[in-house]
Amino acid sequence: MFDNFDLMAEALLEGARVTVVVTLASYAIALAIGMVLVVMHVSPAAPARWAANAYTQLFRNVPLLAVLFVMYFGLPSIGIETTSWGVGLIGLGMYTGAFVGETLRSGINSIPLGQAEAARSIGLTFGQSLANVILPQAFRAVIPPLGSLLIALVKNSALVLAVGVTELTAMSRRLIEDDQSRFDLWGVVIGVTVSYLLIAFVLSYLVRLAERRAAFVR
Amino acid sequence: MTRQNESTVLFDALGPKGRQRSLIASVVSGVVIVGLLAWAAAGLASNNFFEASRWINPLDALVVETTWIPAILDTLLAFALGSLLAIVLGVVIGFGRISRFLPTRAASTVYVQFFRSLPLVLLIWISFTIDGYFGFTADTLGWSGDARRLTFLVLGLGIYNGAILAEILRAGVAALPPGQAMAGYAVGLSHGQVQRLIVLPQVLRNMLPAVLAQLVILLKDTSLGYVITYPELLHSANIIGRDYGNSFLQALVIAALIYFVLAYALSKVVVYAERRLRKKTAAPKAAAQIEAGVTSGQSVGI
Repeated sequence: MFDNFDLMAEALLEGARVTVVVTLASYAIALAIGMVLVVMHVSPAAPARWAANAYTQLFRNVPLLAVLFVMYFGLPSIGIETTSWGVGLIGLGMYTGAFVGETLRSGINSIPLGQAEAARSIGLTFGQSLANVILPQAFRAVIPPLGSLLIALVKNSALVLAVGVTELTAMSRRLIEDDQSRFDLWGVVIGVTVSYLLIAFVLSYLVRLAERRAAFVR
Repeated sequence: MTRQNESTVLFDALGPKGRQRSLIASVVSGVVIVGLLAWAAAGLASNNFFEASRWINPLDALVVETTWIPAILDTLLAFALGSLLAIVLGVVIGFGRISRFLPTRAASTVYVQFFRSLPLVLLIWISFTIDGYFGFTADTLGWSGDARRLTFLVLGLGIYNGAILAEILRAGVAALPPGQAMAGYAVGLSHGQVQRLIVLPQVLRNMLPAVLAQLVILLKDTSLGYVITYPELLHSANIIGRDYGNSFLQALVIAALIYFVLAYALSKVVVYAERRLRKKTAAPKAAAQIEAGVTSGQSVGI
């Protein structure tokens, strides 16, 4: 069943590496975008609120695959020449950023009103109360949902295969459609499944670790 | 608008100086945003993105009739069938997870954990690939061509989202006050009757917003039919784009807009259901909390 096992394992490992790198890199982009969005959402400047709202609605209601395609063919038109990797990371990051923004916003909503009032009453400015009082607490409250976003991102990262990044799913496809048919279908299916399960397992362990630490500090 | 409160939490009713500052912030942020949009628009315009013919050609009456409308219908068909399968599987597996019978519980748990951690695109594509591996294909059942593609798209959508709906329903059961089931046992109902007559109806109603929110994601996920060339919106947009070489990007943007309209309309239904529910249920607060917890965690799909 596992014909050419070492070759297959090597290829799948490479695919898994790409999946993890894509996931983590686009998650970093998404966190940055989400933080900007949430500040825009709660800011006193109305245009910023409108823009954040429009961005969120747009990316929440368009399929990721469509986002990636539009960016793949659209980014060069606005002068951003980039590689498949660039499109994949920007697309995944911008798409996930909308969800991160919404999650952070629900975190801010979960902070008792008294916290913001207390911050204001000791004379903190908008920026200070956000940076020193609200956001640190909000972040702690949203670690579990941010964690599930990260794990969802592992699965979403499979879609960058559509713009030509050979991650785990694309790699398994390549193995099955190997022109010398060196690999057994079921061997590859089991291999790719186990790889995804392992990645999800390790990441959810790390998320739980982060959760526990955050709860401890509190 | 409950959001109003949230945005004023962080600052008092502004004084003259504050008003001035927020006005400046508004103007600056407005200028930055408009500037960014203008920059993008200028870039697109320099590539003749807005040229009328590029938009009119892929929206030709004939193309709309032969490609766009069938594509929308095929997308909605996959959505309807996929939702149906997902809901049926979700209820069965969800209640399997809280079954008193250990093997049922174990099997349901394995199902959920397994299918939740695989990318949907992989599920759809693998099931499409292993078709025929067992000595018969979907063809022998009379499904060929697009019907065969639809079968595997629906299977993938249903199996994957079934696992997620099962988790949502399980959370709903866990959140139901235990007194409900106890009261059922007290009047002499059997375990099955309690689940069927007391627990399930309440859970379905409490979790309706979360379930609908997941269905919005399922609608967006129909775009994955692209990988097995099912003629849904995105695939059709690619074909149209190829036919009208100059309008490739335009066709994709049109498809994205159609998805946006469909998903946005469906998400409005979610908001409506949520509001009705808050008026009707006995424990509106609990339901709202679960919903918030579940949607923030679970409904993050492709």
